Amino acid sequence: MSAQRRSAFRIQAAAAAVLLAAACSRPAPRSNPEIILVQHPTNPAASYVAVKGIGSETAQALKRLQPGAEEWSRVFTVRVLGTDNAANPTPIAGKYGVDGDSVRFTPLFPLDPGRKYQARYEGAEFLSGESSQLAEAIVALPAAAAAEPVHVTGIFPSSDRVPENQLRFYIHFSGPMGRRGSLEHVSLLDDRGKAVVDPFLPVDGELWNADRTRYTVFFDPGRQKRGILPNREMGFSLAAGHKYTLLIDREWVDGNGNPLRESYRKSFLVDAPDLAPLDPKGWKITPPHEGSRDPVSVIFPEPLDHGLLMRAIGVRRNDAPVVGDVRVDSNETRWTMTPNEPWRSGDYALIALGVLEDLAGNRIGRPFEVVSKDDKGEDDAAINAVPFSLLPPR
Amino acid sequence: MRTKILTTLGVVALAGVASYWTAAGVPVAAADAGPQMTSIGPLTFGPDGVLFAADTQAATIYALELGDKANGGAAGTRGVDAIDQKIAALLGTDAKEIIVTDLVVHPRTKNAYISVMRGQGTASKPALLRVDGAGKIEVVSFENLKHTKVTLPNAPNAGTNPQRDPRQQSITDMAFSDGRLYIAGLSNEEFASKLRSVKYPFATADNGTSVEIFHGNHGQLETRSPVYAFLPYSINNTPHLVAAYLCTPLVKFPVATLQPGTKVVGTTIAELGNRNRPIDMVLYKKDGREFLLMSNTSRGVMKIPTDGFASATPITQPVKTETGGIAYETVAAMKGIEQLDLLDGSRTLALSRSDAGLNLVAVALP
Repeated sequence: MSAQRRSAFRIQAAAAAVLLAAACSRPAPRSNPEIILVQHPTNPAASYVAVKGIGSETAQALKRLQPGAEEWSRVFTVRVLGTDNAANPTPIAGKYGVDGDSVRFTPLFPLDPGRKYQARYEGAEFLSGESSQLAEAIVALPAAAAAEPVHVTGIFPSSDRVPENQLRFYIHFSGPMGRRGSLEHVSLLDDRGKAVVDPFLPVDGELWNADRTRYTVFFDPGRQKRGILPNREMGFSLAAGHKYTLLIDREWVDGNGNPLRESYRKSFLVDAPDLAPLDPKGWKITPPHEGSRDPVSVIFPEPLDHGLLMRAIGVRRNDAPVVGDVRVDSNETRWTMTPNEPWRSGDYALIALGVLEDLAGNRIGRPFEVVSKDDKGEDDAAINAVPFSLLPPR
Repeated sequence: MRTKILTTLGVVALAGVASYWTAAGVPVAAADAGPQMTSIGPLTFGPDGVLFAADTQAATIYALELGDKANGGAAGTRGVDAIDQKIAALLGTDAKEIIVTDLVVHPRTKNAYISVMRGQGTASKPALLRVDGAGKIEVVSFENLKHTKVTLPNAPNAGTNPQRDPRQQSITDMAFSDGRLYIAGLSNEEFASKLRSVKYPFATADNGTSVEIFHGNHGQLETRSPVYAFLPYSINNTPHLVAAYLCTPLVKFPVATLQPGTKVVGTTIAELGNRNRPIDMVLYKKDGREFLLMSNTSRGVMKIPTDGFASATPITQPVKTETGGIAYETVAAMKGIEQLDLLDGSRTLALSRSDAGLNLVAVALP
């Protein structure tokens, strides 16, 4: 960073440095230190707190002696300032360096925007023999611009009807969400507005996408399988013929620490359980014209899982993937793909991987409720191919 | 040794199935730069003090060779009250801004290692801390930390949609045994609990396929229930994994049966009660007997004698009473336990929640 740029982003301590009188027994201080906070324009991790004007003898001694963390903590510390304006007894961990007649402290983790920190320079007379005035300042990076609170943009399945053994919901957000306690902000209300007890599966680490904009909530599978004890004692979390509401409460904190813009409700009616495995024979493929970039579309007789539809269905030409723009709509009963390149003649097949599931977790040829001891297990990567032919060129 | 989810559970025992396969990721040795972790979750120690740390966000396991960073502190771990606030101060923030994700004890120094996520949203950063016998807390710097890593294999993809894949694999627990690291996880799309293994050192990666693990305690085979806590355990000199599921079957699997391409039926040896989720488990000996100590979300800490593990009658029918199989006792003195590991021959180390915050406490083994 150039000196000009650094200068442009230099932030004087938020409060004036407080110079403390040296102890009476000390000789007259020979340095007059000043604390500054330097903010890197683009890289928060490169911002640092410095004390300049520490005196040449002190600077040389610090360079020569290379103090350890314990000694540095006697020289210069930065601490979190509490809401009561008291400095935390534990100094922040970071790296120290000497630059000219300045000491630079770079915290291991970037300082929080808007948070106040106490920086205190005690001098290094015990190392250099050079006395110094004490310096203390409160420093703070500018608070982040007020961010628009995140809101729920949608929930899949998007239909207002789901089977009694519905397995999961995907909750989509307009921006990144925070890391604290997600499931406690999701509740299931019955048609009298009463919360269903413990319908969902708690998971360590929680189930987010990389951007933290999609949260997956699974129903507890013990409640979703007929005949086993949780299900026999408590029944399905959902009961056929009844209306339910998935409620996302506003207190859920987003990635900027704000509560959601508003709570969100999705109401739906519950149908009979879906116990049947998927069967591609019932899928209706509408092939495109050769030479066109028309979409190929597939209509399913029931909604399939939104997340899996986006990656577990594809088109292959002569056994090679055809790449294009995938869309899922009509309450997850239609999958379309517009190819990047016009359709060329060849052997085409729609392929569905073994991992594809419907709303109740049923897979191709394998229902969620596996009861057969002859079952061979799951094969996520199994390829189920449905050949199709292009229509003639227009 | 994982984060407690505060929600309690409201169902009774559930059979569990996990898929097992060997990791097929490409290990990368990186000696110069430190590990570039995007997140930090479960921890477990391996041979020679190697610390395995799961980057759950990147579906990657790092083997951190702590070397000199494991030395220098006073041996042991002293309890620290309100340790969440002290860690937060050390990391330059407020206790509300950190989440403790795991706690483990170094097998030689007996120092505690605590994994933490600092901050919210996508700007959140991983941190690793060490607590020594004097109660001193230090950040273990990742800079130039020698390590190797293995990335878990990608989920199958049909190859047509180039959009960014939102599918992620959450890693819920890890354990090391007999040269292999075992990794339990759950996807955020397909409902498939996975148990993976990978050889360590990560010099050669295996190309296995998935194996499903069943246990048959409800008269019908169950699929895909997630393993929440597990550990290696030898029964009659045969290596096993003992795993705990939601609401709360305890199940044993012979390790030798966990072969790619086969289906494994585990044996349920205890039903430990409903509305409950296991958090951590450790083994210890006292007065000539061996016990499994297991922390839970809502049923406290259970002390389970292991001498019946070999001979326990398999539970194959629904349990009509509150619990069944091997009996346990609840350790009344241990409350609010969120993380647990064995400290030494007579004490366990725990993170327990109180009104004042999270406390690191050494507790005599019950």
